[in-house]
Amino acid sequence: MADSSPIVRFDHVSVRYPGALANDDVSLAIRRGEAFALVGENGAGKTTLMNVLYGLTRPTLGTVTIKGEAISARHDPMRAMAMGVGMVHQHFKLVPSFTVAQNIALGSEPVKNLVFYDHKKINSEVLALGKRFGLPVNPDDIVDDLSVGLQQRVEILKALHRGADILVLDEPTAVLSPGESDELFEVLRGIVLKQGMTVILITHKLHEVMQFSDRVGVMKQGRLEGIVNTAETDEHKLAAMMVGREVLFDELRTGRPTDREVLQLKDLRAQDDRGLPAVKGIDLTVHAGEIVGVCGVEGNGQTELTECIMGMRPQTGGEVYLSGQNISRLSPRQIRARGVSYIPADRMRTGLSAEATVMENLLVGKQRQKEFSRFGIQFRKRRANAYARELSEVFDIRAGGIDIPMKSLSGGNMQKAVIAREFSFDTPVLIINQPTRGVDIGAIEFIHEKILQKRAAGCAILLVSADLDELFRLSDRLVTLFEGQLTGQFQNGAIGKQEISYYMTGGRQEVQA
Amino acid sequence: MRKWRLPAALRTLIAIKPKQKLTAQYLLSLLIAVTLAFLVGAGIMLLCGYDPLICYAALFKGALGKPRAIGNTLAKTATLCLTGLAMSVAAKSGIFNVGGEGQLYFGGIAAAVVGARMAGAPDWIIIGCALLAALLAGGAYAWVPGILKVKLKVDEVVTTILLNSAAIYFCAYLANGPLKTTERGISSGTDSVAASFSPLIKLSNLNGSVFVAIIATLLIWYLMTRSTTGFEMKITGTNRRFADYGGIRADRLMMVGMVLSGMLCGLVGMIEVFGIHKRFITNLSNEYYFDGMLVAMIMRYQPMGVILMSFFFAVLNIGGSAMELSAGISSEVILIVQSVIIFFMAAQGGIRQSLHAYTVKRRVRRAHAREVRT
Repeated sequence: MADSSPIVRFDHVSVRYPGALANDDVSLAIRRGEAFALVGENGAGKTTLMNVLYGLTRPTLGTVTIKGEAISARHDPMRAMAMGVGMVHQHFKLVPSFTVAQNIALGSEPVKNLVFYDHKKINSEVLALGKRFGLPVNPDDIVDDLSVGLQQRVEILKALHRGADILVLDEPTAVLSPGESDELFEVLRGIVLKQGMTVILITHKLHEVMQFSDRVGVMKQGRLEGIVNTAETDEHKLAAMMVGREVLFDELRTGRPTDREVLQLKDLRAQDDRGLPAVKGIDLTVHAGEIVGVCGVEGNGQTELTECIMGMRPQTGGEVYLSGQNISRLSPRQIRARGVSYIPADRMRTGLSAEATVMENLLVGKQRQKEFSRFGIQFRKRRANAYARELSEVFDIRAGGIDIPMKSLSGGNMQKAVIAREFSFDTPVLIINQPTRGVDIGAIEFIHEKILQKRAAGCAILLVSADLDELFRLSDRLVTLFEGQLTGQFQNGAIGKQEISYYMTGGRQEVQA
Repeated sequence: MRKWRLPAALRTLIAIKPKQKLTAQYLLSLLIAVTLAFLVGAGIMLLCGYDPLICYAALFKGALGKPRAIGNTLAKTATLCLTGLAMSVAAKSGIFNVGGEGQLYFGGIAAAVVGARMAGAPDWIIIGCALLAALLAGGAYAWVPGILKVKLKVDEVVTTILLNSAAIYFCAYLANGPLKTTERGISSGTDSVAASFSPLIKLSNLNGSVFVAIIATLLIWYLMTRSTTGFEMKITGTNRRFADYGGIRADRLMMVGMVLSGMLCGLVGMIEVFGIHKRFITNLSNEYYFDGMLVAMIMRYQPMGVILMSFFFAVLNIGGSAMELSAGISSEVILIVQSVIIFFMAAQGGIRQSLHAYTVKRRVRRAHAREVRT
């Protein structure tokens, strides 16, 4: 399929950010009409490289050629689009209150009688476009009402509508359910095979690479480690290239849960941000030394459940008990004091302060302890620094100093910082929501190790994740959550991944063991 | 073509090692900002037909040339510093106090009433009580928008701006009505206070209140940069949701920041009354709080920066008025020059960033060149 003349060429491209070399002398040629995957750990420079192509970042050194034409010094997204490059970002850039058609037309609106927005023309264009690429949408739907998967479809159509024939997707499946991901890749394969377009996929999920790509480029610490044909490699080899060592994931470690009930939820209820019921009467017990995994497609009440246990979201009914003590309707502060720690799903909004330094982020919660506060008045900065340094070392947080702002860390290191802080409280209960989202393989392995250590120490752990592999790897017991209710309970090992997805989507309702 | 190169001194400054780099680059950018500001200012003066050298000499002489001038400059520094810190302590806790002007008026009138009613008591008791009254009045007037923000999520920028006018006109009403003095020759003001700060330098505005200002400044500096509460304030100010999640009582800290801010403004009002006018007058403040806000925002709410920048602004302010008298420049030109200088000070952050980008680019080029050679 792929003819051999390069459609995009990077020649010795380096990008330096303050304090970091994001791309280090990368030379790469992408062929016309191929499905190319760019993999690497978080912070390996994949997104930066593609941002150079799309004109969001300027290379410090080196040149980029698109279709034989070198990009200018003032390359920007407008010019990139004109050259046929379309990019779908991790975070969508859509206007929520506009319709699908309006969003797609934004910036290149068809005009009727010189002034009027041509509603009919764009709607028919969108329909035709959707049909041609196998991405059906309803042009009159309001974007805000669409599921995340459909919003992404709108993003892709928007790029195609501008005439893109080089499509870049930045971790497109981070927000999708497994079924939606499969569908997306089918469509993308179709675009490559039938339309002869070039698709570049940025990802750190290796099974996607295997599923989708013709060739794969592996990046590590800003450098291009190598390019291989997908047919000639496998996930293990790629993982080794990415991380620089063998990563062992399949090893299953079961714990020895006690029968001491630590965390009990009784008919717990809560609402989502719009005031609609999101948690609808959940009964669940977590024992000491046990990991209970909550499976579910995102948006079925997982986040509301964890926030409501932690006191960050009002409970509209039911009770929470911690070793028999009622901790319902207390503030997060009081709940923490009684022995619960919490790793939230959205680290940027809840789990960290991006502007504060690494040290400050690691210390929050301990600042009133005698060790860090003289008479409860003076902040003991030197001790706090020493403590933060120690903790960064234990949790392998690579920050380049504890006095730099949190926002300059990579996603994986930020997540490690959240985990370092929460685990350091040594509480009997841990609530963990999406511990490894947007985190690279090396860090995932490390985080899983730490969670298992906590279980071995007798912690009662409630683990929420959208990643089934993760849940199956770690949990002692699995429960399925669908539309705010538990639809199944299983001992790990008693059910397969295929089967459990029936329960996650409300297909079956029964309770086993 | 010969390549343009930075002067050697600047090049060494840029090439300083990482740890020192931040302060060095900071100082350098500040230097560039000030130089550019004065150059552009000089250009404007030339255009208007004045000799910039004479004008700038007049500016500095007017601000620092005589003991009296120094006194005025220091008094102005104190005002700017207190209002600037008032803005900073609230903003750092995540609440934006635009209502300092109103808090200042309330502090002033409370102090004036106490000062007039307590006639006969020892001076230090009068001053002490007036101080307390001003702190209470200013703090209480800031508490209102604070509690509205924390409990009912009412936007504090809107409420504080509106409360400004309410306070200023209410105080004007009091000074023209119920509290109007019977003394002759005073058109709109309260009775004179029974005690006052004694002047430190003859004929200047510098008086004993400067010690109160220094103590308040030190306390706020300590609170913001060295205390456990300051740590919690910073966390709250950068991400309130995170603070709540981490077990910090964010609401309470925002209230503390807001009330402290109001108290500082009340203190400025009291200092104006007891240091300068000896009574409450209806135009007690000439938008002092907004000048302080500007200083605070330029220095990004860093206490030490606010203290230093206050002095610089005071020199411009006091020197500017003197320049008008001694060099005969029209006050409009001086205002333009002042604005240009302030503009460049505000742009200093941007200058620092481009400096940084320049060093980075240079370093990469050099590293690359080395590689090519080997």
